[in-house]
Amino acid sequence: MNIQDNYQKNKKNIFFSGNKDIQSHREKLINIFETDRFDRKNNESLKNINLKKFIEFKYKYLVPEETSVINNNQDNSYSIVSVNGQCSSFKDDKIEITKILDEDYNDFSKNNTIEKNDHFVNLNSLFLNSGFKIVIKKNNNIKIKISNIVTDDNLTIFQKNNYICEEGSSLSLIEEYENKNNSTSNILNVINLENNSKLNHFLIQDNSSNHNLIITSHSSCKKDSTYTQKVYNFSEGYVRNFHYSELIEINSEADLQGIFFLKDNNTSNNKTFVKHLAEDCKSNQVYKGILNDRAKATYFSNTYVNQVAQKTEGYQLSKGILLSDNASYFSKPELKIYADDVKCSHGSTIGPIDENAVFYLRSRGMSKIAATKILISSFINEELSSINDDLMSETIQKKLVRYLSKVK
Amino acid sequence: MNSETLNTLDTYSKNKYKYGFVTDIDNEKPKKGLNEDTIKFISFKKNEPDWMLEWRLKAFSKWKRMKEPKWANLNFPEIDYQDIYYYSAPKGFEKKPKDLSEVDPKLIETYNKLGIPLEEQKVLAGVAVDVVFDSVSVATTYKGELEKLGIIFCSIGEAIQKHPDLIKKYLGSVIPAGDHSFSALNSAVFTDGSFVYIPEGVKCPMELSTYFRINAENTGQFERTLIIADKGSYVSYLEGCTAPKRDDNQLHAANVELIALEDAEIKYSTVQNWYPGDEDGKGGIYNFVTKRGLCAGKNSKISWTQVETGSAITWKYPSCILKGDNSIGEFYSVAITNNFQQADTGTKMTHIGKNTKSKIISKGISLGKSQNTYRGEVSFLRKADKARNYTQCDSLLVGNKCGAHTVPYIDSKNNTAVIEHEASTSKINEDQLYYCRQRGLSHEEAVSLIVNGFCKQVLQELPMEFAVEAQKLVSISLEGSVG
Repeated sequence: MNIQDNYQKNKKNIFFSGNKDIQSHREKLINIFETDRFDRKNNESLKNINLKKFIEFKYKYLVPEETSVINNNQDNSYSIVSVNGQCSSFKDDKIEITKILDEDYNDFSKNNTIEKNDHFVNLNSLFLNSGFKIVIKKNNNIKIKISNIVTDDNLTIFQKNNYICEEGSSLSLIEEYENKNNSTSNILNVINLENNSKLNHFLIQDNSSNHNLIITSHSSCKKDSTYTQKVYNFSEGYVRNFHYSELIEINSEADLQGIFFLKDNNTSNNKTFVKHLAEDCKSNQVYKGILNDRAKATYFSNTYVNQVAQKTEGYQLSKGILLSDNASYFSKPELKIYADDVKCSHGSTIGPIDENAVFYLRSRGMSKIAATKILISSFINEELSSINDDLMSETIQKKLVRYLSKVK
Repeated sequence: MNSETLNTLDTYSKNKYKYGFVTDIDNEKPKKGLNEDTIKFISFKKNEPDWMLEWRLKAFSKWKRMKEPKWANLNFPEIDYQDIYYYSAPKGFEKKPKDLSEVDPKLIETYNKLGIPLEEQKVLAGVAVDVVFDSVSVATTYKGELEKLGIIFCSIGEAIQKHPDLIKKYLGSVIPAGDHSFSALNSAVFTDGSFVYIPEGVKCPMELSTYFRINAENTGQFERTLIIADKGSYVSYLEGCTAPKRDDNQLHAANVELIALEDAEIKYSTVQNWYPGDEDGKGGIYNFVTKRGLCAGKNSKISWTQVETGSAITWKYPSCILKGDNSIGEFYSVAITNNFQQADTGTKMTHIGKNTKSKIISKGISLGKSQNTYRGEVSFLRKADKARNYTQCDSLLVGNKCGAHTVPYIDSKNNTAVIEHEASTSKINEDQLYYCRQRGLSHEEAVSLIVNGFCKQVLQELPMEFAVEAQKLVSISLEGSVG
C-alpha cells in the first residue's frame, strides 16, 4: 500500500486529523513523498536501509491503558512508563506532563528547520498517533527515567515528544528502549532549552532483532544552556539515530555522543547535525562504532557555522572498528563554515583492532579473544567512565559484556 | 577585525587580474551550438579516421541523455550548450609550423607577457613544451630528443593519426564517455590536448609540460590528455594555465586520463590561474575537469599535485583507482579563492588491490566572498587487504564573508584496512601573527609568511620548474592583502 492510501485509510486514528490546518500541512507532505519517491541516489541518509519495510507498512495502533507516574520526592526523581508512546498526565510544582497538543504539532512541523528531505520525520508528522509533553519548571533540578514499552506485535508507533526546560532548570533524562516484539517505533523528540538550563539526555537502546527503532531529536539551545546527549545502541534490530541541534543564542553548548555495537546482519544509520547560529557557542560530536559479522553502519556528522557565529568551537570525531571481513562502515564528517573566527575540526578513523596492542597483550599471556575484548572495552572506556549514574553504568556494562561474549 | 586587516583586504580586493589581455588572431570557427554536424565538423577539421568520429558520436548520444551533476557546492547559472563555439583554431594552422619562427609573432608575444617565453624556457629550463593555443597545438619542442628514447609526446590529434592502436586501447578506459555529463561532452567535442607514451623501463629525462590557453571569446576548451606509463617507466608532467580577461563566462571541460602499468610512476602537476572573474563576480572561467588515474599494475604510483588559484567555478577531483597490488596514490592540493570564486575540489581514492596506499593533503584558503569546498572520497573495497589511507585537509579563512567547507566520504568494507582522516578550519593564528610582527615584519609580510608555511607541504611536492611559478602565484593571489 502506498503512503497516500495508507494515510487516507487510517486518518481517523491519527492525531489532529480534525484540524484543517494540520490536514493541509499533511497533504503537502504527501506531495513531497509523491514527487521525491525516496530517491536513494540523491539522499545518502537512506543508505543501507530496507526502504520497503518503512514505506509499505501496515498501519496498526493500540491505545494503551493508563499508567501512573511514580514520583520519588526524596531525590527529585520521577519514573515514567510510556506505553505505545503514551503516558498519563501528571502535574506538581516541578514538572508537568500532558498529552501532545495541536499547537505543539504546529510549533514544530510548520517551522521545521530540520532538513526538509528527512522522510522519516515527515512520516512521523503524517501518521502521528502518540506522544507527550514534559515541562520542567523554572530553577528545578530533577531526574526522569522513561521506559518505552511497546505492547503488541506489528504496531507502528509514530510518536512526538516535547521537552521544555524552563529557565535555570536542570534535567537528567534517561530513556530506555528494550522491546522484543515485531514493531516499529518512529519517535521524534523536540527539545527546547531556555536560558541557563541544562539537559543530560541518555538513550539506552537494546531492542531485539525484529524491532525497528527510528529516533530523531531536535534540540534548540538558548542563552547559556547546555544539551548533552549520549546514545548507547546495543540493539539487534535496525536503529536510526538522527540528532539535530541548533545553538540559537550566545554561549550555548551541544554535545552529541554515541556508541553503537552491531553484529549479525544488523544495520544502523547515525547522523548528528549542529547548527551554530550565535556567537561563542561550542559543540562536540563523537560517535564510535564496533561492527562485527555482516553489520553495516553509516555516520554523518555535520557542523554548520553561520556568518554571525564568531568564536565558535566545533569538534567532530568518528571512530570505527571493523571486527569482520564482511562488516562495512561509511562515515561522512562534514564542515560548513561561513565565519572566520572559528576553531573547527574533525577526525575520522576506520580500521581493525591495533595488531601491536594485541601482540603486546598476548605476549603477556592473554588469549587472542581476551586481548580483543580488552581492547574493545578500552576503545569506548572514555564514554563509559563518564556516566555518573551507578545504576546506569552497571546496566551498560552488562550489555557490553553480553556483546563481547559473542565476539570470537 | 582590526583596521589594518580591513585596509589590506581592501587593497587586495582592488588588485586586478594581471594577465587580462586579448591577442587578435583571426579565428576560424564553426557555427555556435552543439549537434552532430558540429562534431562532424571538428572531426573533419582534424582529419580524423572514421572510428574516431563514431566514438565521438556515441559519446554525444550519451551526453544528450545525461544531466549535469548537481551535488557540488556551487552556484552558477545554467550553461547554454548551444551558445558556445566548439572549435576555434587560428587561421592557417591546418598546416603545422615546423619551428617557432613560423609561429604567429602575436602568439609569441602573448607568452612573453605571461612570463613564459618559449625560447627562454627551451634554453633555461630544458622543458619540452607542447603549447595549446585555443584548440590547435602550435609548437612542440624537444620532440626529437624524446623520440630517441621512444617517448611519444604529441598532441592527441596527432596521436589519433599516428598511434591509433594505443588510442583505441586506452582512450576512455579510465574515464568512460558515459561516466557523467562533462566527460561525455568532452568525449564528443574534444579538440586537442596532449598524448604521452613512455615505453617500458624508460625514465623520462625532463619534465613534460603543456601550456593551455583559452583565447577566443565564447570558446569552450575541451582538452583531452592521455598519459600512459608502461612497465617500470617514470614521467613527470606539468600543466599550467592562464587566460585573458573576458566578460562572458567560458566553459572548460577537460578530461585527463593517466594509466600506470607495473612499477610505473606518473607525477602530474597543475598550476591553474585562469581568469577568475572581476571583483563583482562577473565573468571568469567555468572549469569542470575530470582527472583520473589508474594504477593498473603492481607497485605503480600516481601522484597529483595542484595549485588552484583561478577560475570562477572550479569543479575538479583528480582521482586514483588503485587496482594493482601495492600501488600508491597521492593527492596534494592548494586551492585559493577570492572575490566571488567558488571552488569545489578534492579527490577520490578507490582502493581495490592489496596493500594499496593513498595520501591526501589538501589546503584551502578562502578570501573575499568566495566559497571553498574540499570534497573527497576514500573507499576500501572488500579485497583491499592492509590498505592504508591518510587524509589531512586544512582550511584557512581570511575575512568573514567567505566560506570553507569540508565534505569527506569515507567508506570501508575491509577490516584490515586503516583510514585516518583529519581536518581543521580556522583563521590565521593571532599568536603567530604577533610573533612575526614582533620580529619586525609588516602585517602583509607576516600573513604571507604564514600562508606560505600553511601551503608548504603541498608546494614542495611540485617540480622545481613549477615551484617558483606556484609560489609567485600564491603571493600574487594574496597580493594587496599580504604582499
